[in-house]
Amino acid sequence: MIAISHIIPLFVAISLLGAFIISIIGKRLKWIPDVIGNITTLILLGLSVLAMWTIVTKGTLVYSVGSWKLPIGIALVLDGLTAFMLITVNLIAFSVSIYSISYMERFTSKWKFYTLFLLMVAGMNGVVVSGDIFNLFVFLEIASVASYALVAFGTERHELEAAFKYTVMSSVGSLFLLLGIVFLYSYTSTLNMADMANILAQKSASNIIIMVIVLFITGFGLKAALVPFHAWLPDAHPSAPAPISAMLSGVLIKSLGIYTLCRIFYNVIGINPTLSSILMILGTLSMVIGVFLAIGQWDFKRLLAYHSISQIGYVILGIGLGTPLGIIGGLFHLFNHSVFKSLLFLNSGAVEYATGTRDLKKMGGLIAKMPVTGTTSLVASMSIAGIPPFNGFWSKLIIIIAAVQANRLGYAFWAVLASILTLASFTKVMKYAFFGKPRKRWSEVKEVPIFMKLAMVTLAIICVIGGVLLISNINQIFLKPASDVLLEGTKYADIVFKGIQ
Amino acid sequence: MIIYLLCLMLFCCGLYCILVKRNIIKIILGIIIAEYAVNLFFILVAYRMEGRAPILSSEVEIVNMVDPLPQALVLTSIVIGLATTTLLVAIAMRIYEKYGTFDITKIKELKG
Amino acid sequence: MNLTTQFFKFDNLSMFVGIFIGIFFLLIIIYSFGFMSQKKRLIYYYSYLILTFISSLGAVFSNNLILFMVFWGFLGLLLYLLIGFGQTEHASYTAKKAFIIIGGTDALMLLGLAIIWQLTGSLQMDRINITLNTKIAVLAYMCLAVGAFAKAGAMPFHTWVPDTAQDAPTPVTAFFPASLDKLLGIYFLARISLYMFKMSPALNTVLMMIGSFTIVAAVMMALVQHDLKKLLGYHAVSQVGYMVLGIGTGNPIGIAGGLFHMLNNAIYKSCLFLSGGAVEKEAGTTDLEKLGGFAKIMPISFITFLIASLAISGVPPLNGFASKWMIYQGIIKTAGNGSHLWIIWLIAAMFGSALTLASFMKLIHAVFLGQSVNEKFLSNQTSMNGGVINNKPREASPAMWIPQVFLAVLCVIFGVFAYRIPLKMFIFPSLEGKVEFFGIWNASLATILIIVGIIVGVIIYFLGTITKTRETEAFIGGEILEKQTNMRVSGTEFYDTIKDITPLDTIYKLAERKVFDIYDIGTKMTFGFNKILSYLHNGILLTYLSWCLLGMIILFYILLR
Repeated sequence: MIAISHIIPLFVAISLLGAFIISIIGKRLKWIPDVIGNITTLILLGLSVLAMWTIVTKGTLVYSVGSWKLPIGIALVLDGLTAFMLITVNLIAFSVSIYSISYMERFTSKWKFYTLFLLMVAGMNGVVVSGDIFNLFVFLEIASVASYALVAFGTERHELEAAFKYTVMSSVGSLFLLLGIVFLYSYTSTLNMADMANILAQKSASNIIIMVIVLFITGFGLKAALVPFHAWLPDAHPSAPAPISAMLSGVLIKSLGIYTLCRIFYNVIGINPTLSSILMILGTLSMVIGVFLAIGQWDFKRLLAYHSISQIGYVILGIGLGTPLGIIGGLFHLFNHSVFKSLLFLNSGAVEYATGTRDLKKMGGLIAKMPVTGTTSLVASMSIAGIPPFNGFWSKLIIIIAAVQANRLGYAFWAVLASILTLASFTKVMKYAFFGKPRKRWSEVKEVPIFMKLAMVTLAIICVIGGVLLISNINQIFLKPASDVLLEGTKYADIVFKGIQ
Repeated sequence: MIIYLLCLMLFCCGLYCILVKRNIIKIILGIIIAEYAVNLFFILVAYRMEGRAPILSSEVEIVNMVDPLPQALVLTSIVIGLATTTLLVAIAMRIYEKYGTFDITKIKELKG
Repeated sequence: MNLTTQFFKFDNLSMFVGIFIGIFFLLIIIYSFGFMSQKKRLIYYYSYLILTFISSLGAVFSNNLILFMVFWGFLGLLLYLLIGFGQTEHASYTAKKAFIIIGGTDALMLLGLAIIWQLTGSLQMDRINITLNTKIAVLAYMCLAVGAFAKAGAMPFHTWVPDTAQDAPTPVTAFFPASLDKLLGIYFLARISLYMFKMSPALNTVLMMIGSFTIVAAVMMALVQHDLKKLLGYHAVSQVGYMVLGIGTGNPIGIAGGLFHMLNNAIYKSCLFLSGGAVEKEAGTTDLEKLGGFAKIMPISFITFLIASLAISGVPPLNGFASKWMIYQGIIKTAGNGSHLWIIWLIAAMFGSALTLASFMKLIHAVFLGQSVNEKFLSNQTSMNGGVINNKPREASPAMWIPQVFLAVLCVIFGVFAYRIPLKMFIFPSLEGKVEFFGIWNASLATILIIVGIIVGVIIYFLGTITKTRETEAFIGGEILEKQTNMRVSGTEFYDTIKDITPLDTIYKLAERKVFDIYDIGTKMTFGFNKILSYLHNGILLTYLSWCLLGMIILFYILLR
């Protein structure tokens, strides 16, 4: 009888295995990358649902690599937050890989794409399940390096330029993170996050911790693209192929930036009012500056990329509030954002696939020619703009209510303002791209192939019914365990040590 | 103490190189230098005065041994750095093919 | 707890609004069969209309603020999609503008909702009772009221209404800004002002100020319009002022008047838009310069339009007069509070009423009376508009005139039998306080007198025609005007002279440059910020990296302080 905790390493192992198989034989057999890639992500999605189920029924799971006893060995932890992130990551990964079947025909070497893609998924899953801070860093770097390569995948002028800037900035971020880890290690002499939390709780505050906090905010802020660490994002995300843009904006910045930020500040170092205000200020800055920058863009994908900054701001604002409602709102917005932003990037990819342009000024009247793309992007635009009854409305509502409830009226006001501007910029997208008079030059345009439609429709359906996740029964399974993990703060350590091995 | 300061200086050199130099190759070098500084710092943190190699043997009593863990970790970190550097250099070469320059301030088509 | 009471509530106010939403929905559907023929994607059009109907009923009957917001916000989306069916060049721009204003204020309403929850811990509308004595309560009220204003089209959130009127398909205009959004917006304003918040005198004054300003400013803009539908759109804004004014009086008769006016306005404004739409469909244009003489061609539309214009101008005994009369009484009653501002409100309301009449004289002259544009010109116009229209204009199809006639009849009935039917059945039951009239106006008696007067007049007219009169074409200086189209008196320039009066001329000029358009101001500011921020993102890696370091240093400073 194998213990149930053995599913945890599978998240990393399966995706690495998929990447390996594709890289070995994918070059010769043309059908291999598609099949293996999709099967792998499907299995991962299934496993994440299973993981969610075990969390609800059995509680936190811990797997110690090589059977070393905690806290000496490397631990992999599966708790509510992890399961939530796994579902998000693998759901998006699955729909993106379906989409890529048709979309990536435009590029040569599909096998390279799938290899890198699965490597990135492996990195993200690794970050999420890891209970060891250095291990987390390693997985984070795996995902990052894969994403650098994927941004440069087109190897044209802009792709290369974006990839270079992204790589340099992100490497600097990684340096700060590593430095932070070094400081933490020298202070606590352990790498296991649970153990670290215990030791830190016993020690009194010191300047080293402040140093670590600053380094981590900078490092994870760079990965999560919080203002003022955001400048690489609007270059890098649009330059990648559309499915990768969807992955980057949808889940990469969240699992590498937000998840880690939450995990370390809530569960390891422990949140305090100053830290929470810093998070809220950073969130609000990103929210407002991102949306102001987005509204003037004419490149479809660049506009979306700036909105990622803005929406990440909402997530951080919600989580930074630190109240139960705020955290639920933030996490729910994280999930919603990954769904609708991926969908929007897939839509932009579909438009580019059909028309060959990303310039909003050149489009027009496309909804008549591409009804599926048009309708799904209407759904996604309304979701991101917070129009009821789509999912974005609910999470924004919760965040605003939570901000007011925490007596942070100013932040709530900025959230409302950003929401108005988001609506404005997406009505602009809809006006220029899909509505209006059909242009003659697009009279030959056809709707995209079935696999791309399938991926878009799936995500659009989730957008429409997303509000259902708030119904108390489903909420108990999906969001509540995740927000509980953050709320229990540094008690995380006890839970991990008592977790089922 | 002085050794930590030297390490900090190395890190600052790397950072300075990234921030001030325009040539993309020099920026890459800056990243490498800063990375080495961090790795070095990690090793230094684990060092104990008069410590010895962490090899377990039955003859010698375990006293004053340097921490073995960071050395293992730094190996991993160096490998990661290598991967990033390789990728950066590859991109830099391609950029030179497309833009015909190594000057980062002239590679600014993506803006706004 | 019972789910129904938790989420839905059927009281008299919501029942009455709900019934009329249903009536308007039916009329618009019938009208659309006539108007929207030969257009594409009709299945979407009708499904959106049905969704609109369902969600507006949902909004009216919901008792939970979040549920209400869901329906309310969804209506904004539907309006956006429906305006998109407009065939004009600016339709998608207008749709965008309307949606941004409405959706934006909806976002503000979320803030209001959040504050209410913070204050009371409940979102059940019938349990909320907030006294407006703290700043935060006032803020909550203002946030919610802004949503109602934008929906109803009160200033300064009105700018989407005239544009929508111009660009959206006529049934959509008649349904949304003219009837449904008025019903919903004023319903919600009444709901929050009467039930959820205890109004303070100061806020009542604010409401009355907004109301009076809206009345006068919008009607002034209406006077100088050159487009049939846009002119009607400005009147749709102006009439909202009366409703806000009525509710702002804070006394039972004023509020009853405001609600009654909401109902009446929905009736005659839809009627106006529908009749105007009938003309538009036949003529292929809504430009007043190119219209004229349609009274002969489309008598039914002319009569319905005439009745509705008289009603909107507040001519007794039609319904517009009945409700305005109640609002005037409400305003006079506020004099009891000791403030002297009531004179201003009263003058504004009456002045607005007079100007409304004036602008409708212009409109009726330009569209239905006056000389018809000569046939050649008209047919040119037709072919330019895609040749959808038959060669010769004729009366609209029954599907289109039946709703018009129905609404015109309602205008008369609600005016003549104001106390017996609408007030007794719908308005009074939905209000708690007892309504007392002090100015007696016996509508039935007046009607009889007016009818007698008209009959006498007709008799005199016929007696008069026994002696010979000569009918001829209109002429100036001996030249018959019909020959030269450029010499036509189209009525468009009736009130253009007011544009030359100082200081009105500057104001009009500024208004033409959209200086008073809150949407335009917002857009300019947003793009200003955007320019600055875009400039900062100059594409140079070193800049970006230095921001990171700067951010880090600031963080250090904050934490080490």
